[in-house]
Amino acid sequence: MEETRTKTFPVKPKLKTKPRTQQQTPESKYWSSFKTQQIPKQFPIHSITYSPTPPHSFVAANSTSLHIFNSKTLSETSQITSFTDTVACSSFRNDGRLLAASDLSGLIQVYDFNERRRLRRLKSHTRPVRFVHYPRHDKLHLISGGDDALVKYWDVAEATQIHQFNGHKDYVRCGDSSPVNSDTFVTGSYDHIVKLWDVRVRDSSKSAMDFNHGCPVEDVVFLPSGGMIATAGGNSVKLWDIIGGGKLLYSMESHNKTVTSICVGKIGKDSGDESNQYRILSVGLDGYFKVFDYGSMKVTHSMRFPAPLVSLSYSPDCSTRVIGASNGMIYASKRKVKVDENEKQIVASEGSSIWRIRPLESTEKKVLKTTDFRYFQRGQGEKPSEGDYLVMRPKKVKLAAHDKLLNKFRHGDALVCVLEGKNPGHVVAVMEELVSRKKLLRCVSDLDLEKLELLLAFLHKYCTVPKYSSLLMGLANKVIEMRAEDIRASETLKKHIRNLKSTVEAEIRIQQSLQEIQGIISPLLRIAGRR
Amino acid sequence: MRGGQSYVSCPPSFSNDGNRLLVGCGNSVAIFSTATALQVSSLEGHTSTVTSVVVVPGSNILNYCWTSSLDGTIRYWDFSLFECIKKIDLNLPIFSMVIPSLLSTPEESSGKKKNVYAYVCMQTENGKDNKPKLCTAQIRKCNLTNYNKLSKLTLKETKRPQPLTISPCGNFLGIKDKRKLHIWKIPKVDSDSAVAKKITLHHTKTFSVLAFHPTERIVAAGDVTGRILIFRGFGAQNFQENGELLNRTSMTDEECKPGVRENDDAESCSTWHWHSSGVNLLSFSSDGVYLYSGGKEGVLVFWQLDTGKKKFLPRIGSPLQYFIDSPDPAFSSISCADNQIHIFKISSMEIMRSISGIKPPLSSQEICESISSQAAFDCTSGLVAVQTENYGIQFYSLFANRGLYEVQVCERNYQPVDEVTVVVTMVELSVDGSMMGTVEVKLPEEGIGGLICLKLWNLDSDTKRFSVSTLIYEPHRDAHISAIAFHPTRHMAVSSSYGGDFKIWVCREETQQKGQTHQNFSWMCHAVGNKAMRAAAFSADGSVLAIAADTVITLWDPDKNELIAVVGETPSPIGRLIFVGKSDNLLSVSHGSTPQLSVWSMSKLAASWSYRLEIEAVSCALDLSYFAVIALLPKSNERVFKGDGIILVFKATDPTPIASWSVTKAKGGSIAFLKGNPSELADGKSSQTLLAYLNGDREYVLFDPYDKEARELNMTMQDDLLGVEDNGGLSLLLLLFFRSSF
Repeated sequence: MEETRTKTFPVKPKLKTKPRTQQQTPESKYWSSFKTQQIPKQFPIHSITYSPTPPHSFVAANSTSLHIFNSKTLSETSQITSFTDTVACSSFRNDGRLLAASDLSGLIQVYDFNERRRLRRLKSHTRPVRFVHYPRHDKLHLISGGDDALVKYWDVAEATQIHQFNGHKDYVRCGDSSPVNSDTFVTGSYDHIVKLWDVRVRDSSKSAMDFNHGCPVEDVVFLPSGGMIATAGGNSVKLWDIIGGGKLLYSMESHNKTVTSICVGKIGKDSGDESNQYRILSVGLDGYFKVFDYGSMKVTHSMRFPAPLVSLSYSPDCSTRVIGASNGMIYASKRKVKVDENEKQIVASEGSSIWRIRPLESTEKKVLKTTDFRYFQRGQGEKPSEGDYLVMRPKKVKLAAHDKLLNKFRHGDALVCVLEGKNPGHVVAVMEELVSRKKLLRCVSDLDLEKLELLLAFLHKYCTVPKYSSLLMGLANKVIEMRAEDIRASETLKKHIRNLKSTVEAEIRIQQSLQEIQGIISPLLRIAGRR
Repeated sequence: MRGGQSYVSCPPSFSNDGNRLLVGCGNSVAIFSTATALQVSSLEGHTSTVTSVVVVPGSNILNYCWTSSLDGTIRYWDFSLFECIKKIDLNLPIFSMVIPSLLSTPEESSGKKKNVYAYVCMQTENGKDNKPKLCTAQIRKCNLTNYNKLSKLTLKETKRPQPLTISPCGNFLGIKDKRKLHIWKIPKVDSDSAVAKKITLHHTKTFSVLAFHPTERIVAAGDVTGRILIFRGFGAQNFQENGELLNRTSMTDEECKPGVRENDDAESCSTWHWHSSGVNLLSFSSDGVYLYSGGKEGVLVFWQLDTGKKKFLPRIGSPLQYFIDSPDPAFSSISCADNQIHIFKISSMEIMRSISGIKPPLSSQEICESISSQAAFDCTSGLVAVQTENYGIQFYSLFANRGLYEVQVCERNYQPVDEVTVVVTMVELSVDGSMMGTVEVKLPEEGIGGLICLKLWNLDSDTKRFSVSTLIYEPHRDAHISAIAFHPTRHMAVSSSYGGDFKIWVCREETQQKGQTHQNFSWMCHAVGNKAMRAAAFSADGSVLAIAADTVITLWDPDKNELIAVVGETPSPIGRLIFVGKSDNLLSVSHGSTPQLSVWSMSKLAASWSYRLEIEAVSCALDLSYFAVIALLPKSNERVFKGDGIILVFKATDPTPIASWSVTKAKGGSIAFLKGNPSELADGKSSQTLLAYLNGDREYVLFDPYDKEARELNMTMQDDLLGVEDNGGLSLLLLLFFRSSF
């Protein structure tokens, strides 16, 4: 009772109806929290690779050069340009110090990433090499696959080929190594087959396991458990169980065109149910980027880019996501991260330990004197202790300018004030409030010409909007009736009236055509209802 | 069991220790605790409205009070023991009473006990000549200590009864009479024959209230235009006694009496004007430094008496009636016209507690066509929900006889002086009391901007309060809503409109999210006709929906939105429909030129029986086949029945009433069957259904319609305000007269 008595009620626009579609889920909110930045390049971006070590720089292959980007600022830091042909693929060693890259001439080169110096040239493939990969737990070897349908296993230090697997019958375009085992890896080929290889098996044509994807395989990844792989090809992404003997678990077919690249990403959110869960991210030529939850077998997020997408990578620290398009555009997205209070403190303490900002002698409290202005503020920043009884200051009601004017009964000013604003909902709310005070027509008759122009412009714009029309149509009539002489006298006002008239005529036409449609439909509905 | 009386019919009075507030409340004096604002007890005995309560001042342990009533008696009570000590019968209704000698401090404690004299404003005795008298009220003196008969002395006769005002020290007595103030000086040693000296002060406007300064000779008077006049030094000439030394200027300079009308006996008169309409409340603070005033606008104004500076306690939300200072200087009480007594702290100018009576009915009945004054009853918990003036719904517990809480339907500040532009026209509760529907109407200004808004509310199971779940703007375009009905078991509501359609609102699904249910309402279907739909009702199991379309009843399947049947035809439009319990009978009430109460059998789809009665309200028992109606009686029969209405209880199959009671103020009344009071269950009584009758002034009575004893009990209380009275024989005759022919 007491609360209601002392309340002031600001005027509120009418509530809008809730949309029937589902609200954004926390997960899709997470994925759309990445802010995308466009980095234009000339040629298609066939490959994007993240460094496995912080600060997780990423490398994008564009024509005959590799562009190295800082993932914090999403700016290009340097290039590696010593290629003779288009770069097709690149891969970091697991410590991030070496980078292997292959090009369409069939040459594989290994660079020192920090100095961008070439260390080794691995030459054996005769056709373009589209796949080169450092095994996850192996610093010495390299896997590559080329359009000559051969998969090779290299000793990097010696720059020699240790082994060659020749089971594929078409271009080998992709592959991945097991995250749990340094000896097994998979490769995918345009002969629709994904093969699981074991380097310990020396029989060169015998794979450990085969998976038939059904389409030319564009990409294949191991899921973090190492027991499953995901393959992309055609319009589908398929999940296979390796431990279960190569069984097809699920086929995700929500892309409309060929899926070109997939990768595994972690939801790097600290709170929420979904935090630290893995998702399969996929991009396709249809321009869609999709997030697939392989736990519940559902596509949880989907967003569209304006170009066919060919490559995708997601940073291991979950902060950035880079998508390469066939028109040379790099869509680099970065997530806004709120720095935790704890982290801030840690950073601060680190900073102080380095810089020694905090002088030790000032810990003694100075006695404040009245000459110090802080004397008058003492105790204001005091934090309440646990047992203290808190006397809360009553919350201040924030009132908009029109509410303040309404509270002072300056009705005309309130109307003008809200008309000058942009929000039609508020204008209508103020008008309704004036109606309930029986002051609206009085306000309208007292408006001077400039303000009347504002009102007419508003009426022209909104009087046919269904939400407001019940009030505004009546008001428009009244305004024209009451201010006819002023309108006749002024040329600008006449123009507004002409605009208003054309809007109303357009609305009438719409209504007529709607009625025609209703006339067509209602007999049908009646027949349907009779059954 | 009675309740719902007005707490503001007379000024309340604090006990000497300030812990109790004595409030005249109908025929009794209710005693409230000021610490909790709950009723402690009541003094029963008067047989008509109590008109004044005077507490005998003294030390804290003295708990005596005098009360006067319209039944013509003055009673003396010990209100710590709740018993009547003395009763003086004056035989004529007493409108107001003051006792000056209680206030003046006894100077010498002589052995002889002084007589206590009261001044009463009472109805004039009928003279021997039966001439209609001009003056209906007179002010007389009455010896309370040993009463033989009224003293012959009549101080004044007035056309209308006027409340008496006494100065805080008991020296002066005043009344207002149109444009005059009459002030008497009360003799020091009072006796039956002692004549009080009188002066009269004049003004050009009608006075509305007056107040005396506690120590000085200052009287403040408010008039109907909102002016406050302060007369200083009144009666300097006429009240001067020989022995008394006045430290005022001598009488010689008569020419300088600023503001005083020519022959009036006052030294000066100043006028303050802040109130925009009549002043209802004037009171001086106990030290005489401040003057409190209040009026219709619900703002308490604090005037500094010397300078005229003002402070305000705004937004009390209702016209103010009385201001009473408590003996404890920390707080005082204000009585408001909306039946609330606020106890407020003077130092911080904030309201601490409120004694909340049932709020009076809306004054703006005619302003909106679709307004329904019917209260909604929650049968299981004994609550009644009534619309209030300040755009809210008050929930009032009928068993506890106090207001529980209010919900604000329309988020607006209420100003009592403003013209009414927003009205809460309807309130309806579902059978289990878990849902509420309200309709508010914003009136258009010259045809533009009107808005009708339907709100559906859900009961929060933890706090037991309603909160808005759904808001629907213009549910039936611009047509007014005629009725809301709730499905007895499911989350389904029906609204019907005068515009000729009805809509079924269904709670779509409840999505559990973060422990809180989000309910989405979607309207399922509607049927359109060109007849105004005035009533809607669900059957007890919710399988049939009955909608009154003008003069016929249409039956629908609420799930499939199919018309099942059309029943009957009444001579005038049907205004109310109700299914009788679990039986297959439907009750329809039609108003207009040929009012009718009809019972329709759903199995035969035909009328069973009917009466040509003007029915104000109907209710049926949940699990029984009984129903009760309030029938308004024609003016010619009022004498016979001692009331303007009659409550009849019928069995659905039988046109002969089981029981009947005649009642007063039936217009605007409502009726409901309630489940028995849980506290009474503990006493070993069986859980019986009670019938609640709420009259037009929102006073109510609860009684057991089946109990014979209760009926006899009601017989003895026939002179009562509510006047519930059994008269089986008469009503039968009446009903035979009204029986429709078939």
